[in-house]
Amino acid sequence: MTPIIEVDNVSKVFPARRGPRALRGGLGLRDWMQGGRKTFKALRDITLSVAPGESLGIIGRNGSGKSTLLSIIAGVTLPTSGRVTIRGRIASLLELGAGFSPVLTGRENIYLNAGLMGMRHAQVDEVFDDIVAFSGIGKFIDQPVETYSSGMYVRIGFAVAVHTNPDIFLADEVLAVGDAEFQRKCRQKIGELREQGKTIVFVSHDLGIVNTLCERVVLLDNGRMLQRDTAQQTITYYLRQVGQEKGVHAFGDAETEVIHCDGRVSVFHERREISAANGFTMDIVSLGQNHSSRDADWEVTEKSERDCTAVGKMARLPITLHWEFVCESGRLLWRIAMICDRDCPIDQITVLLMLPTGYARWLYGDLTGIFPDIAPTDTSWNVLVSPEAKSTETAALPGADVALPPLMFRMEKHNTFFGLLWANTEYLMYSRVLSAQARFPEHENIFSAGRHDIMELTIDPNIPLESISDHVFSSRTVRSGPVSARFESGCIRLYWNDLALTTYLHVYTSLLIEHLWNDSQSLQWRSIVPIDGGIRFTGESRRFPFSQEWEVMEGEQGLQLRLWLVAQQELMVQECHTTIVVPAEYQRWETDHEQGVFPPHDPDRPNWKHCNQSYAPGKRIAAWSERLPSITMEADDTCPEVRMTAINTSLQENARALQALRPSDVGRLRFPAGRTPYFSGNIRIVLPDAT
Amino acid sequence: MNTVVYDSREERKLHRLILDLVRARELLLDLVWKDLRVRYRYAAMGFLWAVIEPLAFTVILTFIFTFVFADRTAPAQLTDGPPFAVMLLCGLIFWQCLSASLATATTSMVTNKNLVTKVRFAREVIPIAACCMPLVQLAIGFILLLATHLAFGGSVGGTLLFIPMVFIVQFVLTIGAALFLACAHVHYRDVGSLISVLLILGFYASPVFYPLEMVRGARVPQWIVTAYMANPMAGLLTCYRQIVFEQRLPDMSLLVWPCICAALAFLFGALLFRRLAPTMSDYL
Repeated sequence: MTPIIEVDNVSKVFPARRGPRALRGGLGLRDWMQGGRKTFKALRDITLSVAPGESLGIIGRNGSGKSTLLSIIAGVTLPTSGRVTIRGRIASLLELGAGFSPVLTGRENIYLNAGLMGMRHAQVDEVFDDIVAFSGIGKFIDQPVETYSSGMYVRIGFAVAVHTNPDIFLADEVLAVGDAEFQRKCRQKIGELREQGKTIVFVSHDLGIVNTLCERVVLLDNGRMLQRDTAQQTITYYLRQVGQEKGVHAFGDAETEVIHCDGRVSVFHERREISAANGFTMDIVSLGQNHSSRDADWEVTEKSERDCTAVGKMARLPITLHWEFVCESGRLLWRIAMICDRDCPIDQITVLLMLPTGYARWLYGDLTGIFPDIAPTDTSWNVLVSPEAKSTETAALPGADVALPPLMFRMEKHNTFFGLLWANTEYLMYSRVLSAQARFPEHENIFSAGRHDIMELTIDPNIPLESISDHVFSSRTVRSGPVSARFESGCIRLYWNDLALTTYLHVYTSLLIEHLWNDSQSLQWRSIVPIDGGIRFTGESRRFPFSQEWEVMEGEQGLQLRLWLVAQQELMVQECHTTIVVPAEYQRWETDHEQGVFPPHDPDRPNWKHCNQSYAPGKRIAAWSERLPSITMEADDTCPEVRMTAINTSLQENARALQALRPSDVGRLRFPAGRTPYFSGNIRIVLPDAT
Repeated sequence: MNTVVYDSREERKLHRLILDLVRARELLLDLVWKDLRVRYRYAAMGFLWAVIEPLAFTVILTFIFTFVFADRTAPAQLTDGPPFAVMLLCGLIFWQCLSASLATATTSMVTNKNLVTKVRFAREVIPIAACCMPLVQLAIGFILLLATHLAFGGSVGGTLLFIPMVFIVQFVLTIGAALFLACAHVHYRDVGSLISVLLILGFYASPVFYPLEMVRGARVPQWIVTAYMANPMAGLLTCYRQIVFEQRLPDMSLLVWPCICAALAFLFGALLFRRLAPTMSDYL
């Protein structure tokens, strides 16, 4: 096919200007004499061609000649030697709206701007309405554009450029302008243009966009073309090539190689990039303004073959990011901290891990799902699972036939507000994202001067696909024969092999204080500590001055459960309980005093309904079903006095509850300051035939 | 698709100029319109200034030369031509057309830098648009001239048809000079300042507020008169007067030199501009 753009052996020398350099300092006669000789060689022997419908990206550092090449292709300036041939009409998206005259109205400027791109009035008439509609200028169209906001300028400029129906688009960082809404529109439009088979030449620092938009990418350095290959190859080459710079360090261990490049982390496994082109970055939103780690000024302070410490001074924030990487037998540990020079308001911190679209499934807590395909019409991020799921471990699994390792991520947060979420990006970025995000509520968003540890992220590409789901939960799971208990965001899920034995609220506690129920799910749970035979975790109430300590251990025929209440000051509790919520399949119940059958759920009753008659203190409650193993909750000797209760939930919740209840007898439920036993006992799980 | 739309080697060739200009005719009009809007924006009296400006200038100069310097300008009064004010106005509107064109065209590439450095188009339209804008003022001024001429008892006839023919010569000359100056100004910004000085000189060295006969009749060496006549505006302005006031064909002898000047200026200007325009953005 005849190439639509042909650049043949092009060099460009910028002449130096004659005349004095500065206003003061004599006539500059010397400069005048020498001026003509001091030239600047911006491009050297560039040869490339672009086929119709192809999109070419141009990357390179500042001053590498990217923009010069673009303006030579645009025909704005001529090459000093060599030849450029273009076989189609060009619309340049360079500095949108720059050609606007502030005095003219929007309408006049549209005609003038389109005219500059070679359109006649009659042709503009045809698309005029589309332009106005796309730009969303509406009634302002007959106002002078000097009354417009800068966003409106850019909007009209972009609208004109895309509606002149050219064959070739030249774009230079255009997507970085305008409001978010318009950027989305822009990106969508560019995606569409690409689908329509338009040729796009794109210059950008945003490697992610270049990666998704461009089939081929050219790397320029110092006016020379260093590499010309597929986007992925060139970008990888670029990241390695700039390795000598101060903000860059490449390190690795086993099959993993990591490149930190000025606030962006790229990870390779067996020489394949497992991060998307945008890499792993961090965003801080302060006073409504987003600051990316990529805009910071980075310096690698310590480096070795396996680890790296990088310090990045944020450009417009009094914050220094402190990143520490350790790569050990293929596993990458990323410690993130920040140092505030002074008190600084932060609304949101996000650590973004961009992954290629080769990853097809995510695993998150109990949930798993498939990443949907990203369509050109996707102009915003599509959140697949939100931090409400509260797990700190998650995994991404590659699609079939994709040569990517399964990835496991573990977040050790130092700040309780962080949660993980999975999302698809919009079409232009075309990646999967794992985002560790914290939004700080208004009264807790001031970060005092000093160091703040944010989190530690572990990225492990070494776990085989089969066992990854076990790994995701291994640290929070206690096993006892076929029984396993997994702690998750304030409750414990019980399993018989892979069979879920609990539902809805699972095993949880709740305390009624000042007429408010405080479920264990609403506590803030800190990290899980392994103890002898089990795990321990602590959850703190945000509302009242107490916390709970849970210990789950392997027990005879099941699990041992030890719960404490730690009150900071004397706490008056009206009522409290420890409850196992089981599926409606469980039909029979038995306590120390009586036994019965769970009645069918009453559709008119929104509340839980107690099934037992006797509320005498007891030690034991059990439930049976036909299919599932029986569950017995037993209080042991150290347990405070409880009353065992069998409960039907509402019809919607469709479950049964086994409850160890402590009602409010006067004076009984006064928890003194300090650590007091809350519940202690066993959960026995036995197959029906074994009883 | 396979037709070459842009070839960097063809850019400097002159033969595409006419085609390019024909293609860009609507753009040219848009640019003229833009310049007019820029010029008269927020002016309460708007285009009325196109009338007021030459009128005020005429009144001032008339006052100076008929009262202040009355003695020295006596010869002008003695000729049996039209009143001084009308004679002055006739020279003034055409001179101002030239001087306004050149003054704006010279700096036009620099003022329209944002267009030149962003988009590829026939760059000639920018200085040419700058030359077209004063045509509007000229048209208004010309009506004003005819009105005052009639008011002072003159008469008009079919000879007015010769005006456009003479003006074509001036216009081609203006465009040629404008193209050259616009180029020169991009490379040497001194040109902008220089041209404003030269235009003041030109105002006095052209028969604007005095008739050409005054120079010819003056007692000065012949070489000075020859040098004076080298200014093509000397011939052109006199031709306009002959057409309007004497209602006759202008002296062809007066037109020969301006024609040569116009042709040369246009050729030189257009060639130079084509040659330099494609890389102009490097210097902006």
